[in-house]
Amino acid sequence: MFDTEGMGLPEELINRLAPLTLATDRVLPVPDVLSPLFPWGGIQRGWSVGVGGAGAWSLAFAIWAEALGAEGWVAVIGVPDLGLAAAAEFGVRLDRVVLVQTPPAGQWSTVVSSALDAFDVVAVAPTAQVSPRDARRLSARAREREAVLFHLDGGRTWPSALDLTLHTRVEETLGWAGLGRGHGHLQRRGVSIDAVGRRTGHPRSLGVLLPDVRGCLAAVPVQGSFRESPVLVASAASP
Amino acid sequence: MTATRTLTLWCPDWPVVSWGIPLDEPAAVVVANRVIACSPAARGEGVAVGQRRREAQGRCPDVAVLDRDPDREARLFEPLVMTLETLTPLVEVTIPGRVSFPTRGPSRFFGGDHALCRLVADSVLPVLDGRGQARIAVADGGFASRLATRTLEARTTPVVVPVGASAGFLAELPVGTLDRPQLSDVLERLGLRTLGSFAALSPRDVLGRFGREGQQAHRLAAGEDEHPPDLRRPAPDLSVTWEFDPPAERIDTCAFAAKALADELHHHLDANGLACTRVAIEARTETGEHLLRLWRHEGALSAAALAERARWQLDGWLHQAKLTSGVARLTLIPDEVVPAVGKQLGFWGGRAERADDITRVVARLQGLLGPDAVMVPEWRGGRAPSEQIALIPAGVVDLGEERQATGRGWVREPWPGQIPAPSPAKVLFEPEPIEVLDPVGRSVVVSGRGELSGEPALVSRGRVRPRSVQAWAGPWPADERWWDPATQRRRARLQVLLDDGTAHLITVEGGVWYLEATYG
Repeated sequence: MFDTEGMGLPEELINRLAPLTLATDRVLPVPDVLSPLFPWGGIQRGWSVGVGGAGAWSLAFAIWAEALGAEGWVAVIGVPDLGLAAAAEFGVRLDRVVLVQTPPAGQWSTVVSSALDAFDVVAVAPTAQVSPRDARRLSARAREREAVLFHLDGGRTWPSALDLTLHTRVEETLGWAGLGRGHGHLQRRGVSIDAVGRRTGHPRSLGVLLPDVRGCLAAVPVQGSFRESPVLVASAASP
Repeated sequence: MTATRTLTLWCPDWPVVSWGIPLDEPAAVVVANRVIACSPAARGEGVAVGQRRREAQGRCPDVAVLDRDPDREARLFEPLVMTLETLTPLVEVTIPGRVSFPTRGPSRFFGGDHALCRLVADSVLPVLDGRGQARIAVADGGFASRLATRTLEARTTPVVVPVGASAGFLAELPVGTLDRPQLSDVLERLGLRTLGSFAALSPRDVLGRFGREGQQAHRLAAGEDEHPPDLRRPAPDLSVTWEFDPPAERIDTCAFAAKALADELHHHLDANGLACTRVAIEARTETGEHLLRLWRHEGALSAAALAERARWQLDGWLHQAKLTSGVARLTLIPDEVVPAVGKQLGFWGGRAERADDITRVVARLQGLLGPDAVMVPEWRGGRAPSEQIALIPAGVVDLGEERQATGRGWVREPWPGQIPAPSPAKVLFEPEPIEVLDPVGRSVVVSGRGELSGEPALVSRGRVRPRSVQAWAGPWPADERWWDPATQRRRARLQVLLDDGTAHLITVEGGVWYLEATYG
């Protein structure tokens, strides 16, 4: 067998081979289209991330689909209105989703803290303002367990600034397409997303299709061509 | 090389027996809605392992349904193991309910395998005190002796498979006894129905076709030990120790240390590319008592499994061993290690462990909020977005298993009247009544033939300022369960795009409009 003692690897090489966790190794991936919005090209584990605005939840689904991949788990606490069919269309694996009923006010932070123990992403939309003490405790817990606390209300109820907040905005030239006056059906929507937060150097913006005709996230084909492009997709399902 | 001659003692239905249920009362232990053990009385009524809870209750309405409590199973098994330890020091526990030890020394000392079996039976039965059965068998190798405890004769008298006859004994048994469902499925389709016909294949061919797992199964089928005898002796520095200061007398303190030690040991083994198949758990008390117990695992022990076994063992000692003082030092020694290549499925192993963590947290949340407060989604057929997903309590599914109903292809049937994708991101749990008006201010109605009375022009929600409709489509009529007057529902849906850029799905039922979902 090998005599590891006698091999005499140079110390410099040993140091280079030693396992080392870089900050970038703990980044959850996000869809390629969105990566310019994220300081490390993804969501750092331990962060608090918020989504707000008109397309907030669709954006959340698109991010989860990529961040969780095949193995990640998400817990959704106290958001009974979540449209899971849409989540599945964006690519979220439903067998990795666990939904928790809205806990009584006194137990909210205990429940969220428990969920942070095992889930990669814990999504919340608190019904009441979170106290600064609970917020500190939960942030610390998320960092320790390397989980992401995901605010579906854009962090409105959070007492401090989130690490990253993504605001979706429907601009004049964008918005829903596919619907006529009495015909067609909703097909795609163009939104612009603004990223602000403690971890972003300067605000960044980006226009995307959320969703596109397949129900997924996609880049806007060519700037300005969104409205002009033909939207007549024959659909057998329309009445 | 023949396998180590081994005695196995098996207490059937231990998960039920440990609850203290008399054997003539029907009872079943259920995990994730599946029966995992049942009492002989329940079996007589048609209850079987693997059935759904409802099926078991259907067959035997007065069956007592129990939860699984591994800690309790381990704790109550400890007295049995301690009794056996008076006969031989090398007792190894596989799971609570099954224990085995090599018979070479004890058989010589007590006058042969038969005498040893009688002695084991005589010492164990008083401890069981009629609460459960004990089946005893001696054979070459742990696998053969384990299977021998399952034969019919083992019910009443110990089975002794003569030296060298184990391969012959195994040859008649079906391949399903290997407990590797995927492998035995393939073997059966190849026409190899018995262990004998599988063992007759050349080891080289088996390795080539089925890989390492197949090789191990082949060794078992041939009556050899699972792992070849060239087990590497682990270097002594792999064992890990925890000093308690002050000495621990409570299980929660010990369990905490056990978890930390298990993680550390697993990390050490991992770094060396090893996996542990047998671990020795050693405790010393303040007054110098010395306790040692071996735990074996058929696969390789994961960090969670190590911690669990250490916790069970300490729990057993603290409750049963009448220690004179607290535990001062706890050591985990990887007693038997194998190169971790066979378990190169790190991916799967990792996943199972992940699912274990998730299941634990889910159980904690259920404890906090009630069993129905934690739900998991599944696909259902339906027209409305709210009908396409069903939520079922997380307690009735096994989160570690593949769940078919969560896959996109689960619902195949077309649902006429279904709203085309994309689906709305927000589906209101309780639809909100709204008003929909046409350009002249009259309420819009949908006729029995599915026609709108006028173009929807304005949508008002409670006290929020009314919004004008920029675009709309529909109606999608849904006439559901028209054959049943009690549950019949006639509805029609519209997609509307309002002037603030938001798009919604609205429903009319019985002349009242509801906001059903928002394309958020």
